[in-house]
Amino acid sequence: MSEISRRITLAWLATASAGALALEGCAAPAPNAAPMLPAPPPTPVSLWQDLTLPRITAPGYGYDPNLNKPVIPWPLTLEPQQREVLRIAADLMLPADAHSPSGSALHLDAFLDEWVSAPYPLQQADRRLILSGLAWLDAESQQRFHVGFAQATDAQRREIFDLVAFRRKVTPQYQRPAQFFVRLRGLMLAGFYSQPEGIADIGYMGNNPTTGMYPGPTPEAMAHLNAALTKLGLKLVKI
Amino acid sequence: MAAKAHREFEPDVVIVGSGAGGGMAAYVLTRAGIKTLVLEAGRDYDPVSDSAMLKWNHEAPLRAAPTPEKDFGYYDATVNGGWSVPGEPYTSAPGSVFRWWRSRMLGGRTNHWGRHSPRFGPYDFQPFSRDGLGMDWPISYAEVAPWYDRTEKLIGVIGTNVGLENHPDSSPGVLLPSPKPRATELMIQAAANDLGIPCVPARYAVLSRAIDHPHAPREACFNASSCGRGCGIGAAFQTTTSLLPMAMGTGKLRITTNATVSRVLTDARGKARGVEYFDKDGVSHFVKARVVVLAASACDTAKILLNSKDGGLANTSGEVGKNLLDTTGTNVSGHIPALEGRPRYNEDGMDVAHLYIPFWLYKEQAAGKLDFPRGYHYEIGGRFGMPGAGLGLGGMEDGYGLSLKEDARRYYGAQLSYTVRGEMIPNKDSYCELDPVVKDKYGMPVLRFHWKWSSHEIRQIAHGIKTAKEMIHRLGGTVTSPDLPPERAISDGGFIIHELGTTRMGDRAGNSVTDSFGKSWDIENLVITDGSVFTSNAHKNPTLTILALAMRSSAHLASRMKKGEV
Repeated sequence: MSEISRRITLAWLATASAGALALEGCAAPAPNAAPMLPAPPPTPVSLWQDLTLPRITAPGYGYDPNLNKPVIPWPLTLEPQQREVLRIAADLMLPADAHSPSGSALHLDAFLDEWVSAPYPLQQADRRLILSGLAWLDAESQQRFHVGFAQATDAQRREIFDLVAFRRKVTPQYQRPAQFFVRLRGLMLAGFYSQPEGIADIGYMGNNPTTGMYPGPTPEAMAHLNAALTKLGLKLVKI
Repeated sequence: MAAKAHREFEPDVVIVGSGAGGGMAAYVLTRAGIKTLVLEAGRDYDPVSDSAMLKWNHEAPLRAAPTPEKDFGYYDATVNGGWSVPGEPYTSAPGSVFRWWRSRMLGGRTNHWGRHSPRFGPYDFQPFSRDGLGMDWPISYAEVAPWYDRTEKLIGVIGTNVGLENHPDSSPGVLLPSPKPRATELMIQAAANDLGIPCVPARYAVLSRAIDHPHAPREACFNASSCGRGCGIGAAFQTTTSLLPMAMGTGKLRITTNATVSRVLTDARGKARGVEYFDKDGVSHFVKARVVVLAASACDTAKILLNSKDGGLANTSGEVGKNLLDTTGTNVSGHIPALEGRPRYNEDGMDVAHLYIPFWLYKEQAAGKLDFPRGYHYEIGGRFGMPGAGLGLGGMEDGYGLSLKEDARRYYGAQLSYTVRGEMIPNKDSYCELDPVVKDKYGMPVLRFHWKWSSHEIRQIAHGIKTAKEMIHRLGGTVTSPDLPPERAISDGGFIIHELGTTRMGDRAGNSVTDSFGKSWDIENLVITDGSVFTSNAHKNPTLTILALAMRSSAHLASRMKKGEV
């Protein structure tokens, strides 16, 4: 594991163990553990480059921000082309379906910009990984198809995503871009499902004050639980 | 609530700190008619206007993710603090790692604490008698039990008497009704019981029924919004909606915020005559009082005493800053296929866990069948939580596109967690002292921490990890948390935020800093009511016991003052 990815992993683990809001799905970049399949025709050279970026020096929101009137004090920093690649990637990652809109319709490019422009250590580590990854998408597209990722066809973009998106199919030379992809996916999932449309899709029904004692699981949820326990050879405990 | 202390207000007692220990002392003393001044280092804080109840994560920067400025996330009810406080550093000695959570706000850490409120049991007050390690408390469970009852009744605690060994029942009518468990908790319970492990209604300081009070009316929990954000309706206990306004209602209390106490000052005979504090502009002030009560939190109380005199005030025993304790911690998580795609319903409940797993191996422990001497419990989790910077898919998601959306729906709410919280035994390698070089923004020397877990704690954590894995496997699940050896899986010192023991109580002056009423052996008008007086740290989360002992010590102080003994 390279130094940067080791540090990122440590930062993820530190964040995850901090308890309140674990960045699930990011704590364990899984590809290392996956069994390797026979390699497809290899690219001649690894096109991944870890970018060296100037430190973000903008102020954070401080130790006592107004929680009911949140403001994001740091300026957004991504170039229009980077935002465009993120919009395309967001629609590949989370396309519209009957349950919710697409990633770009929920402005995941803006959320990613907010995230990688923040001055905090985790976000600055992510900045390096994400921006290096966006550059890799372009480089990979240029090498294969002689056009940038934004100009490539949908099928060509999928060919590139397929190199890194499936944990059991990532070949050794794509380990590093696969780490980028796992992180991008984690951030896009977080950015998507935390919005009202995503919340409705995934079915979170809380944050909804009610009076009286908490009613507990619905009859449907209890039926599901009882069936699951029966399959496991267990039974509900009478309290 | 806080107002500038009137210059003409001459307190009988000055209390340092407005959290659990200070809030309870203020409540008891003012009700006894004693003029009391509370000094709070942080700013005024009112959860009605300042907390972010019911806000969505997408409304906050970074989806409310933790940052070094808001370590538990944007909405956490911690002001000007967390693992670092601007201008107030601390250090760890070479080879030691210690993390110290502080807040600088009225009510202190009671505004965001976990509210888990188990009682210590009979064994927990006599640990040395039971296994020859550590030291016995100077009081028994029987002596503390009525104070637990009074405290639980006052602050409001949900729970159910379950009659388990060393997990004492409350008196009838004390506890508030327990909420129904979530489906995930019922599943954990079924597997635990199948393996011979109890899983019972948990005790939390959250109201399931309203408490009426002219100065501090508190509503019943409305089953929404994380308690850690602070509770503007007063359901989750914090001093800012309960003990402090109740004390204020007596007319006997003043509160001064932005007042960081640096030293206790003494007269020629060695009696405390008051305290020195710095305001937010760094100007020092002196407050005179008949009695000084320290409740600044275990480490800040030790810091004040160590800074008050060469070698430490109230320290003829040499125990100030020693015996520093925390709780052991680790987390084991699992993905449960049987929970995939389960029917949705509102699983917020009272936010806190409705069930938990208390320590269950006392018989085996007494028979010498365990390779660790002290117990632990599990705080269990798993629910359809509010989506934010983490979605909680357990790392099960893969690929992209429509199948990724299916993954999100399938794996959301299908993870369980078993959080180990265990007892640490005091050891000579874990303590705090003044740093010889580093000073805070007021020019006062800061604390330097020394820390070491012993093999007792490491083996206990190993047992907790092994047993949690068995419970996950019994449910057909796979463990998704990192598979670390126990010496790496155990939390850093201070990380569970249960610092205790730095001015421990004992049965005589030679081995301890205070008597069982928190009264300094050396200085009769100096009383300590925070967690620093703990002689041991049972695995049971300490705040309820801090409150009960603070109530007992403050009632004793009030009676001494009435009799003119101090």
